[in-house]
Formats: sequence, C-alpha cells, structure tokens
Amino acid sequence: MDAITNLLKIISDFVAELIRSVLGFSPLLAELVVMGLAAVVLITFAALSFMGLTYVERKVVARIQDRLGPNQAGPFGLLQPLADGIKMFTKEDTTPATADRWVYNLAPLVIAVFALATYAVIPFAPGVVGTNLNVGVFYVLAIGSGSIVAILMAGWGSNNKYALLGAFRTVAQLIGYEVPMLLNVLTVVLVTGSMSLIDIINHQTLAEGNPGIPHILMLPLPALVFLISGIAETARSPFDLLEAESEIVAGFHTEYSGMKFALFFLGEYVNALAVAFIFSTLFLGGYAGPILPPYVWILLKAALVFFVFMWLRGTLPRVRIDQMHALNWKFLVPMSTVNLVLVMLVLKLFPTSEAAAQTFGGILVTPWVQALILLAVNLAVLFVSLALAARAARRFRQAEEEMIMRRRSANLATARA
Amino acid sequence: MTIQQLIFIALAILVIGSALFVVTTSNLFRGALMLIVAFFGIAGFYVLLDNGLFAVAQVMIYIGAISILIIFSVMLTRGMQAMIPRNAQAGSVAIAAGLLFLILLLAFGPFRLVVDLSGVPVLATLFRTESPRVLGGLPWSFANREVPETYIADFGRALVDLNQFLLPFLLVAFLVDAVLAGAIYIARQRKPAEVIAEREAIAKEEAEEIAALQPQAASPALPQSAVASTAEH
Repeated sequence: MDAITNLLKIISDFVAELIRSVLGFSPLLAELVVMGLAAVVLITFAALSFMGLTYVERKVVARIQDRLGPNQAGPFGLLQPLADGIKMFTKEDTTPATADRWVYNLAPLVIAVFALATYAVIPFAPGVVGTNLNVGVFYVLAIGSGSIVAILMAGWGSNNKYALLGAFRTVAQLIGYEVPMLLNVLTVVLVTGSMSLIDIINHQTLAEGNPGIPHILMLPLPALVFLISGIAETARSPFDLLEAESEIVAGFHTEYSGMKFALFFLGEYVNALAVAFIFSTLFLGGYAGPILPPYVWILLKAALVFFVFMWLRGTLPRVRIDQMHALNWKFLVPMSTVNLVLVMLVLKLFPTSEAAAQTFGGILVTPWVQALILLAVNLAVLFVSLALAARAARRFRQAEEEMIMRRRSANLATARA
Repeated sequence: MTIQQLIFIALAILVIGSALFVVTTSNLFRGALMLIVAFFGIAGFYVLLDNGLFAVAQVMIYIGAISILIIFSVMLTRGMQAMIPRNAQAGSVAIAAGLLFLILLLAFGPFRLVVDLSGVPVLATLFRTESPRVLGGLPWSFANREVPETYIADFGRALVDLNQFLLPFLLVAFLVDAVLAGAIYIARQRKPAEVIAEREAIAKEEAEEIAALQPQAASPALPQSAVASTAEH
C-alpha cells in the first residue's frame, strides 16, 4: 500500500541512487540530473496529455452534438492524434514575406514555454512537486500573463490584419479576466492563510484539528467565477473570440502552419489542463482523497474539471465581444469584490483559533461552523447578484423593445405621410 | 566561484545585453520585447536574493501589465515601421547617464574614496560626517543576512502598520481608486443626444478655426468681408 502511494517518490529516489552509484556523480550533481529528468518527464506528460486530450475532446463534443467523432484511424479512431501529428510534421512551414521573422518564429515557442512553466508548481502527490513556492498561487497567475505577450508577438509578427485584431482582442480578454481570477484566488488564500499550493491542499485534507472540507463546499462562488475566468483565460469556447473563425479568420494564428500551429494548439490545451489542475488544487482538495493513491486522485479531479470544459464547449454558443466584457466588468468583478470583503469580515468576526479571537475579538467557532457561515455568505452574494443582473437585463430588454416600437410607429407615420 | 555568482553574472549579461538592445534598436516593437527579457532578468535577481514574492510581482506587474501597455502603445503608433529614429540628445543623455552612474558607483560602490567635506559649509551639515568622509565601500546592512521565513507576512504587516508604510499604502490605494473612477467616466455609456451635441460643438469649433485661418493661408487676396459671408452660408 505504502509503495503504491509513494510510487513516484520511490522511483525518483531509485533513479537518484542509480546515478550516484553507477555513474559516480556527487550528490549535488545527481540531484540536478534528477531534477532535469523530472522536468523532462513533466513536459512529456503535458505534451502526451495534449495528444490524448485532443482525441477525448473531439469524441466528447461529437457525442454531445450527436455525431461520432474521429473513427477511421485505428480502433475507435484512437490513432487520430498520431495521424494528426504526422500530418502536422509533413505540412509546409510557411513564413509570410512581410512578417517580422524573429518575432513570428519565436511566438509559438514562447507560448509553449509559458504554458509548461505552470506545471512547475502543481503538486501531483505529497512530495511530488516541481518546487513548493511559498507564493505558488501568485506564480501561476503571473506566468499566465506571459502568454499574453506571446499572443501579441504572434499577432504583430504575422503582419496580418486579422492576426492583429485577434491579438488586440486577446489582450482585452486576458487582462480583463485576470481581475476576477485574482480576486477569487485571493479568497482561497485568505481562508487558507498561505499562498503555497501545498498548504492549500493541506487545509482541505482530513487531519488532526482540521475537518478537511474541500474549498468548493465553503466557497462555491469563487469556484464558479474561477472556472468561468479560467475558461476565458485559456480562450476556450464560449470565450474563443480571439480565434472566432466567422469574424477574424483564425485570429492571431492565421498565418501559422505545420508544427508552429501545433505549438499554439499545444499551448492552448496545456494551459487548459493546467487550469483544471489548479482548480482541483484550489477548490477540490488536490491530491487529497481516500483509498486511491494521491496521483490518481488529482488526475481524476483534473479530468472531471476538464470534462466540464468540454461539456461547456459542446453546448454553449460563442459570446459576443461586448457581452463578454459586460459579463466580466459589470458582473464578475463587482460580485467577486463584494464577496472578498464579506469573506474577510467573516474570517475576522468568526475566528477558529483562540489566538486570533483574543487579538482581534470576535466569536470563537469551530471550523465547521465557519465553513457554514462562509457558504451562507457566498450563496447570499451569488443569489443577490444574480437577481440584480436579471432585473438589469429585464429593464434593458424593455427599453430596447420600447425603442423598436417607437421606431416602428415613426416609420408608419412617415409611410402614411 | 559559487553557483550563485555564476548565475548572477549570466543574469547581469542578460539584463545589460537586452537593455542595450532596447536603447539601440530602431524597431520599437522588438525593443519592447527585449525590455521584457530585461524585466525577466531582474526577476531572476530577486530569486537569487531568496525573495520569491518580489520576483513573481515583478513578472506580474512589469511583464503582465506594463510591457503589454508599452507594446500596445507601440502597435497603435501610426507609421511606426517606416520610422527612422533620430535622437539629437543622444550624446548629452549618454554623458549624463555615465556621470550619474559614476557618482553612484563612487558613493555606494566597492571603492573607498576619501573626501574632505568638513570645510564645505552646507555639505558638512547635510551629511553629518566627521572629516574626512569616506565615500563608497559602505557596509550593506542586509548583506549576509538570511531572509526570514515569514517575510511575506512581515511585508504585509508593514503595509498596514501606522509606523511603517500605512500612509504611502493608503495614498496609492486612493490614487488607484481615482484612476478607476476616471477610467469608468471615460468609458461610460453615453446618451445619443450627448454624443451628437459634443460632435456639433467640435464641428463648430473646427469651422471657426478654418474661418480664422482662411484669410492668411488660403486666399490673402480675398477681402475680409467676402470670407465672412461665405463662412455664414
């Protein structure tokens, strides 16, 4: 049992020992080599999961839309990603004559690097994490903003109007949705009292003096908003405005072909999977779970979140650009801000530790009671904002209908005259 | 030479090289991109100083926000590609920057420079030194000190501590609020009548300007009264 739980750790120790004894490396050098190997394994995992995810997504979306999906290459179309890969390799690698050559060719690499950099802090099992940064959450958000630069490089470097339009849209979207994402991650950080992803998981793990409640049960609103802004940040449907083919051809990657295009594709999927991992770490308890080994748990949770992404992609139409910005700035940001302030108040008014109660006052409660209060506050904020939004939408519709009626009667009057 | 020193030298070369590229290139967009590389190098210095928070904040703020802003303004500049940048002040700026660097190097750098300030009336009181004053070679009060484990919490408390940085923090918060209010005011949805009135006002202003310019620029031969009458029509 123990061997299965700590499988990854045992393998890495074994490899380190092997390098030290067989190759005669010093412990420091051996550790460096093992770290390099781990990075290679992690990158390979991400790239392979990209191949698998394209297949699964096509199948799932096809099922949702009452189609079969890929079914020609191999049994159940299982070899489709391989066929796609071969196709990508054999395609001509084009560069537009007027492109900024350096910027154009670097952009796909930069986007892939930033996408993979997120995996450095994702904990897969106890002790199996690239690096346990004490500012892990902050790091994830900061690295996410790097892909904006890469998309701008692609849009500008292509020297194509549609590519540039796509890049402009990207910046507006990605920077905009960073705000609610940050506000809601902040609530999790406040509840946990740490920015380290390991600490956030430990806070949700059943242990002595810790009830082990997944954050989604006490903070459903931040979880929901994080999911929405996560989809927007990775530019997946219904927020895939930056590559809306009916409007701007293919957005920032219009000019890219072959493997360079595949790298953009990889960046997109790897980013989406990273968001799924971060969501399961922040809100679903990460690798914590009974019976099954930890790395299975986190993979299951991430797969569940990714399934939600696919589900939304298969069922929702693409939003309009003004709707997207209105949703962000007029709904998600104000709601998240109010929720953040209320969570702060709850944490100060109903502390769980005696030390905090003595310093700041407030009523000492058990973690369960605090979680219940947080849940109540969250749901109240959610329903009040939904009601307000519904009322505003109704008024807007009424005003629009009135305008149409007025215009119609005016037209009738002119027709009569 | 330790690994830290090697990394420091590599980062320094990276930062200085990309910074040089930024100020010498004629392609503004590439310059902005190299500025991002320089910012990354600075973030690397923070990592080297065991300060992950500031490294990540550097990436978030300088690369995620400020660089994007710079790139955007470069992109929206008309005729940016065909531009031939020429700076008449380049030489004097280089001399000023070099002098400033020299002063900083002498004042805070590794060289010990003995200067007698006791005779100078203002400076002697200003620096409160016993003569002769030693410039440079200052003991760096944080050198060789471990970064405390709780530095993030300490930093946070310092921001809300009345005796430390509460006032600057509040001022910055106030400034950010004002900026947000301004942004909302500029981006607000306006009534059609308001927009039309504004456009009419601008058109009127332009017409007046043209009318004022016409006698000198277009037709100096035309009598003043004739121009006025055409403007009225």
